[in-house]
Amino acid sequence: MNRIRQIIRPEQIRELSLLLIILLIIIFFGSQIDSYYTSRTFQRISSAVMIIMVVAVGETLVVITRNIDLSVGSIVGVTAYVAGEQVSIHNDLPPLALVLLAVGIGTVLGLLNGILVTYGNIPSIVVTLGTMAIYRGVLVEYGRGENVLVRDLPDWLVDLPRVNLFSIGELDIRLLVGVAVVIVIIFQLVLSFLPYGRRLYAIGSNPDAARMAGLPARRIVLGAFVLSGALSGLGGFIYLARFGTISFNAAQGLHMQAIAAVVVGGINIFGGSGTMFGMLLGAILMGILEQSLIRMQINEFWKDAIFGLFILLAVATDALVMNRLRDIWARAAVQMREAAMSEE
Amino acid sequence: MTSPIFEMRGISKRFDATQALDHVSLTLYPGQVHALLGENGAGKSTLIKVMTGIHQPDQGEMLLDGHPIQINNSAQAQVHGIAAIYQEPMIFPDLNVAENIFIGHQKGRGVFVNWRRMYREAEAILSSLGVHLDVRSQARGLTLAAQQTVEIAKALSLKTRVLIMDEPTASLSVHEVTQLFDLTRTLRDQGVAILFISHRLEEIFEIADHITILRDGKLISSAPVSEVTTESAIRDMVGREMESFFAKDESKREDLLLSVRGLARHGVFSDINFDIHHGEVLGFAGLVGSGRTDVALALFGIAPADEGEIIYDGQPVWIRSPDQATRLGIAYVPEDRREYGLVMPMTIAANISLPTLKRYLNRLGIVDKRKEDATAEMYRERFSIRTQSVRLSASKLSGGNQQKVVLSKWLNTEPRLLILDEPTRGIDVSAKAEVHHIINQLAGQGLGILLISSDLPEVLAMSDRILVMREGRQMGIFSRAEANQETIMAAAMGQTTRV
Amino acid sequence: MRKRDWRWLLRWESLLAVILAMVIVANIQISDHYLGVDNFVNLFHLSIEKIILALIMTLIIINAEIDLSIASLMGLSACLFAWLYNKGVPAQSAILIALAAGTLCGTFNGFWIAYARLPSLVVTLAGLIMFRGAARILLEDRSIGLFPQWFNDLGQPNFVGPLSFGIIVFIILFVVCLIVLHFTAFGRYVYIIGNNRHAARYAGIKVRQTKMILFTLSGLVSSLGGLLLAARLGTVRANVAEDFELDIITMVLLGGVSIFGGTGTMVGVGLSILVVLNLRNGMSLANYSGNIQTSVVGILLIASVLLPNLFRAVRRWSAFSFRSRDMMSKDEEESQETQQTDTVGSIAN
Repeated sequence: MNRIRQIIRPEQIRELSLLLIILLIIIFFGSQIDSYYTSRTFQRISSAVMIIMVVAVGETLVVITRNIDLSVGSIVGVTAYVAGEQVSIHNDLPPLALVLLAVGIGTVLGLLNGILVTYGNIPSIVVTLGTMAIYRGVLVEYGRGENVLVRDLPDWLVDLPRVNLFSIGELDIRLLVGVAVVIVIIFQLVLSFLPYGRRLYAIGSNPDAARMAGLPARRIVLGAFVLSGALSGLGGFIYLARFGTISFNAAQGLHMQAIAAVVVGGINIFGGSGTMFGMLLGAILMGILEQSLIRMQINEFWKDAIFGLFILLAVATDALVMNRLRDIWARAAVQMREAAMSEE
Repeated sequence: MTSPIFEMRGISKRFDATQALDHVSLTLYPGQVHALLGENGAGKSTLIKVMTGIHQPDQGEMLLDGHPIQINNSAQAQVHGIAAIYQEPMIFPDLNVAENIFIGHQKGRGVFVNWRRMYREAEAILSSLGVHLDVRSQARGLTLAAQQTVEIAKALSLKTRVLIMDEPTASLSVHEVTQLFDLTRTLRDQGVAILFISHRLEEIFEIADHITILRDGKLISSAPVSEVTTESAIRDMVGREMESFFAKDESKREDLLLSVRGLARHGVFSDINFDIHHGEVLGFAGLVGSGRTDVALALFGIAPADEGEIIYDGQPVWIRSPDQATRLGIAYVPEDRREYGLVMPMTIAANISLPTLKRYLNRLGIVDKRKEDATAEMYRERFSIRTQSVRLSASKLSGGNQQKVVLSKWLNTEPRLLILDEPTRGIDVSAKAEVHHIINQLAGQGLGILLISSDLPEVLAMSDRILVMREGRQMGIFSRAEANQETIMAAAMGQTTRV
Repeated sequence: MRKRDWRWLLRWESLLAVILAMVIVANIQISDHYLGVDNFVNLFHLSIEKIILALIMTLIIINAEIDLSIASLMGLSACLFAWLYNKGVPAQSAILIALAAGTLCGTFNGFWIAYARLPSLVVTLAGLIMFRGAARILLEDRSIGLFPQWFNDLGQPNFVGPLSFGIIVFIILFVVCLIVLHFTAFGRYVYIIGNNRHAARYAGIKVRQTKMILFTLSGLVSSLGGLLLAARLGTVRANVAEDFELDIITMVLLGGVSIFGGTGTMVGVGLSILVVLNLRNGMSLANYSGNIQTSVVGILLIASVLLPNLFRAVRRWSAFSFRSRDMMSKDEEESQETQQTDTVGSIAN
């Protein structure tokens, strides 16, 4: 038992439990819904989840530093719209330029968030509550009531969601889904292997010690918000590709789904811990629930109630259970050490 | 004779009314463990803060390798190779040991974090210290001792040349202390200069090469350990002219007010036994961290005890909340008046009425400000609180007057037992005398008083009897006759035990 | 009595009064209709639920907490009422049930915050989603209306004189909150807990109980607001009261209430309510869309925290002489600022 305790930490147990829950839910829905284990189901779920995944990566970065970003939905809406509008006007805009446009806009918006939080010393809840409204308002005025229409978009963009990365037998893995997964992997690597990523954890774990250790806290947190904006921008591009028609309330409420994925995925709302892998599981869980409930023609609107319940459960579990688990781990570690010492 | 690595010359620092450091000089040599002794308030922590850049001295200079330096913030101190570890380790609970050692200075290791290399180097540093820890384990799960070790390893990795250890043994077990000392000796042999602060005399004699003693911000003595004895150390720490203190009148020891038997809170204090009579002042002496405040908090219901009996006015009571304590007639004047004693932005009058606010409500539940002001005026006159108006914010008052407001507030609850925690800390001499006068008066009026104080002359002058605590244990109760500075201090440091 | 930087607070409220005057003057320029009684009543009436909620929100923020779930709870109680009525429950009973449900939700929030000591940000964020979700479950895609006439009348102007029932509720509630906050023991406790939770406890104040009461009240007032909204609109949809939080929180913070708790006055909030309402009204009269109005509110929200910070920074620059009295060095001051940039910690603790 102790050997196991040495290898697996409470956080990993949580992620494993999530995985288990996902499997159980899949089995459950499989029994309730005809032709559940099909390629079509996979497509529906993955295309629903891919946008959230990308946005939630950014949200994870921010939450790890003990902050929150409520403006991601508005940023996705703005970037999707502006990118869509530009490419409608200039149909020959190269794909890369379009992506860069979306990401660039998102970066600037994220930068504004970050500056207000770190240099303006305003709590991120206040800043992003405000910018959520401001960015959305700017979008509406900019759009002046005209939607981006699918028919104005270049074919490559409209077809993009169906482009395959590769196929395994009947199962097609779409390019965009692949991109989303790659983003998650990249940023998991950032968190695990880049000094910057480790510093995010340090700041969330103990802001005072971080300062004492000479870490440039402001710049690090600023970076998190910039990345969140940039990733929301990328999410906006994917949103555009997926939906085509963009109205001024595009992606409204997306921030809730992102936060749900983050919290359910085991990222501590107080910062300092959590992995992209966990967030991925959280996003997948939410996505499966949502899509499957629709398939079962159960009220689509249960989604929101369940989201909220899951968030509360996740937080309550983290607050009540995880701490106890950590104590048990710590005590076990001490016992092991003392046992080892008495053997010397 | 090697040259000194770090020197302080004539360092002075003043805070409002208190001269925390008064022309203190200190010389640290590489490969030497230099102990710093002194009672609470002697200036040790201020000295550390000056060395680590948290405070800037008003006068004097500091030299590193013979060159004058400025230390304006903690980052600069780190650059100069000065680091400190404290009783409470400053670690990142969510990161592992290796990361805790290297975070913040991973530069020059390439773009990516090389975990294997980090683990290897962490293990290397730890083994150079003769310590074995799983560098992959999360810091949160480590014992305090292990976390301290990580901090030391971190200091080493930063090429620290002067390491300050502030009360590092306070929370360690005997075994862990031995390990820490081995570590300290290893560091010393590697050429690090160590400034070691501790209250445990036996430890000091075991580990130190040189001992410096501070008292009231002044340097009293500095000598190699071979030239210092327990008696001379204690004498240097406490010996001072007994100023003309307001000596307490002989109390008329009346009937029993409070009786405490076997009081304990797990991990904090145990087996506390004492009585307080009406009109008696029981002094609580001991060093910082001895658990006196914890006993007070147990009596006041903020941190209730786990075991033991409290018999108040002949009835056993089980005190679980401050509200309950207040209703019983127990009042607690806290150590930190800014944080726990007063609500700074509020007016003096509002502060005074706070625990008894119910009395000032009219029939509609509205606070009767005139009645409140009248009460405040009464106390203002009674205690000579110097303020233009009782409607001014409490933050505008001087320390001494603030303390009088806190006293007024609690006396207004008509307590029978008054617990005072360091009541004259940080206030000027005349205010101090006034507070002593008040205490004397209150005792004369029949209040039972529990006086926690680190100011030995104060405790000696004001108490009828003195209970000494050390590290959560009761070392003894001294009567007025047998108590003097040396005996109390000796007991506080564990040199003698009394029943 | 709130005496922290008396003069500063006075300056903030004076500033608000000046801004209010400016807005009024601008509005007069924009439209002749502005000064009509109808317009004035409308100005309040259209946002009446928000401003009622702002009153209770003031108490909560002063207490160093936050309640993000108020708007969703409004929606839930409106939907609950509509759903019950639609099922044949008499309107009066439906009202009572909706109020009770809302109060229970508030207590639910309060339990996690006061006793389990979870941060209010997270708990009420979860509540925001849950309550909205419950509303959606009840009403799905539909809209329910056709409420009894007497109910609808409660939501219209000219209920008493030119005023609506809601406006009367607001006025009464404003006066009550003003008295409670500034003149009663409970109000003092709210301030003190928000300013310094420890000092409150050491003075014998029942901190947990106070928080519980505040969040329960929040639930009650939210459900009341939801019912008023149902009465005013005449029909209820699942997304009713969406995004009201922005205006509500802005009105409170703009009124001089610090997001960190411990400061602020009801008068200040009253003034900021007037400012925000007149601003929205003026923008409507000038034909600016709802979305621009919302953006402006967002800007106000950020500005209400940013500007004091800037002033403080400027004052610190020019007040170097204070350094000797300050026991803190730049390091310690900066650590306090860092603490202010981590959201969860500061609002929760």
